[in-house]
Amino acid sequence: MRVLIIEDEPRLAENMARSLRESAGYAVDSAPDGQEGLFLAQNNAYDLVLLDLMLPKLDGMQVLAKLREAGHDTPVLVVTARDEKESVVALLNAGADDYITKPFDLGELLARAKALIRRGKGRGSPVLTISDLELNTVNQTVRRGGRNIALTAMEYRVLEYLAHRPQAVISKTELLEHLYDYNWEKFSNVIEVYISGLRRKLDDRSAKQLIHTIRGQGYILQE
Amino acid sequence: MRHSIKERLISTVVMAQLILALGLLVTVVFYTSRSLRSTLDSNIQARAMSVAALVRYTEDATGEVYFDDSLIPPSVDPAHPDLFAVYTERSGLLTKSANWPTTFDIPVSGETHWNFYLNGVPYRGLRAFHVPVLDREEGMKFRPQTLTVIYAAPEIHLKSQVRDSAVFITLASMLFLLLTVLLSLWGIRRGLSPLRDLATQAALVSANQWRLDLPESVQNVDELRPVSQSMTQMLGRLQRSFEQQREFLGNAAHELKTPVAVLKSTLQSLLQRPRTSDEYRVGLEHSLEDTERLEKLLQWMLRLARAEQWAQGALRRDLPLIELTATCEEAAERMRNLAESHHTNIQIAKNGPIPLRADPEDLQLVWTNMIENAVRHSPEGSTVEVSVGRAGAAAQVVVTDHGEGISASDLPHVFDRFYRGDRSRARATGGFGLGLAISKALIEAYGGTIRAQSAPGEGTRMTVELPVLSESQNVSRQPSS
Repeated sequence: MRVLIIEDEPRLAENMARSLRESAGYAVDSAPDGQEGLFLAQNNAYDLVLLDLMLPKLDGMQVLAKLREAGHDTPVLVVTARDEKESVVALLNAGADDYITKPFDLGELLARAKALIRRGKGRGSPVLTISDLELNTVNQTVRRGGRNIALTAMEYRVLEYLAHRPQAVISKTELLEHLYDYNWEKFSNVIEVYISGLRRKLDDRSAKQLIHTIRGQGYILQE
Repeated sequence: MRHSIKERLISTVVMAQLILALGLLVTVVFYTSRSLRSTLDSNIQARAMSVAALVRYTEDATGEVYFDDSLIPPSVDPAHPDLFAVYTERSGLLTKSANWPTTFDIPVSGETHWNFYLNGVPYRGLRAFHVPVLDREEGMKFRPQTLTVIYAAPEIHLKSQVRDSAVFITLASMLFLLLTVLLSLWGIRRGLSPLRDLATQAALVSANQWRLDLPESVQNVDELRPVSQSMTQMLGRLQRSFEQQREFLGNAAHELKTPVAVLKSTLQSLLQRPRTSDEYRVGLEHSLEDTERLEKLLQWMLRLARAEQWAQGALRRDLPLIELTATCEEAAERMRNLAESHHTNIQIAKNGPIPLRADPEDLQLVWTNMIENAVRHSPEGSTVEVSVGRAGAAAQVVVTDHGEGISASDLPHVFDRFYRGDRSRARATGGFGLGLAISKALIEAYGGTIRAQSAPGEGTRMTVELPVLSESQNVSRQPSS
């Protein structure tokens, strides 16, 4: 998963990014002002945008409005110091999916971020199930047929992304875009390595194969 | 000392009534006794004349007289018979009433009317001189005689009648007094009811409801108008200052949230998993920096709150007499290092000493704020110009820079609290958007004005004008309220 943080307080942005990387394994990009934030959001595939309201150059509300105007439906979690009812209502009406007020708890921020990403992919439950495969997004554990499977961090991220959208063909580029921050081009060949690692750990000991390769298009997770 | 308007009014009314009753009593006693006495006097006169009419001439035409005692008039009071005596000019005493006191000699000469006591009974007497004998027929040839008649009647009834009317008047007055007290109690209660209405309405005023809705019963009372007017004005002032405080608190809370969020997130992310000691050290250093920033923000906010209180006249201080130019020079000196690091120059133009009453620390804070802003927004190699002088009756300090200027949309807000034209740059320069707000509050506390003129690309000019006190006015200056 890839997250964009638009926040002008550099240390706060850094702390949020670190927490999302370390605790959820997300790829994180940061923008220090509204203009750059809007540019990044429009030109990259993000699974979630964390948006501050008081931003230089372009106000958070304007970023939100322009993003929605341009037809982007990426979930937006607004981080705001204002908690008056009117501004919350205005935010949600402008297309924000959720908000959290400063000063916030990093744990709560993570939980809200995960929930928004799930819902953005059309999945409500934090435990994703495909056939006998169980993927718990809260504590990042994977089980197949009741058996715990140990994955590396990157393997888990690839599987989580596929599991959020089962039965859909997901290209290598899409995976790269969502799993790495803005310099993802460097890693163009690693996806195949992770997929083969996942196949070995998930499918080798089972009768049914879950990860399929569609030649020339990408990967699909299904029975 | 506690007292009640009602009690005061009632005691005034009672006093007035008592004075009135006393006056009435005196008048009535005086008038009654006078009119009763005059009635008695005419009664006595009539009886004296009747007695005189009983004196007749003898038939022998010698001019001798006798008294016909068969027709004596009845006494005024049968219990205390009247006294009388008749004297002739030729032979003296002609007759006396039977009860004429023997021990007690009534002089024949003296005043016409007089009073005396007989056996403890008050009597009123009349001496009638030169009363002609009426009984004289035509043709009688002798010199007619005249008489002196003394007649006295008891006055005892007169006294008791006067006493009766005094008692009557006193009782009637008491009754009226009682009625008046009751009536004024009712009237005062009714008259004070608008005051109670006013109190009821005033009790409804709160931080959420500042309006004082006065019912017509209050508005129509002339005496309450000054009270209700000053209450309305006072509420207006309170509301303004309350809203200012509330706005300040709101702004302050908002401004404090971000640094607290930074601090909290730093500490939480340090605790999220075990870190190397280097990571801990960096995290703690960051936390310390953020705490220091928070502390500085708090100091500025308190300073602003205090300056605004002065501006509202809440605190008044005795101020020393200082010299304006010196405070500007001192401030420019303090900014010298900053200017050097920005490669800019500070030039100061003076115009003789300008004495005024102020706290030099306050003024220096204002000048350093203005100069610091100018330096920070000046391009390298340019000069910040400070000029101190007089403009009419006021002292004027102008700080001019040749920087990028302030956009027309930002210009009206530069003195707003927490306003930063460009937040990211403000952070880089360590500003909280409070410096100019504090300067404005301080200058206004001294009865002065501060204004900013600017055009993008042409630099900014900040002008402060302060009222200068002439030497004769060197008593204590009060901040305008």
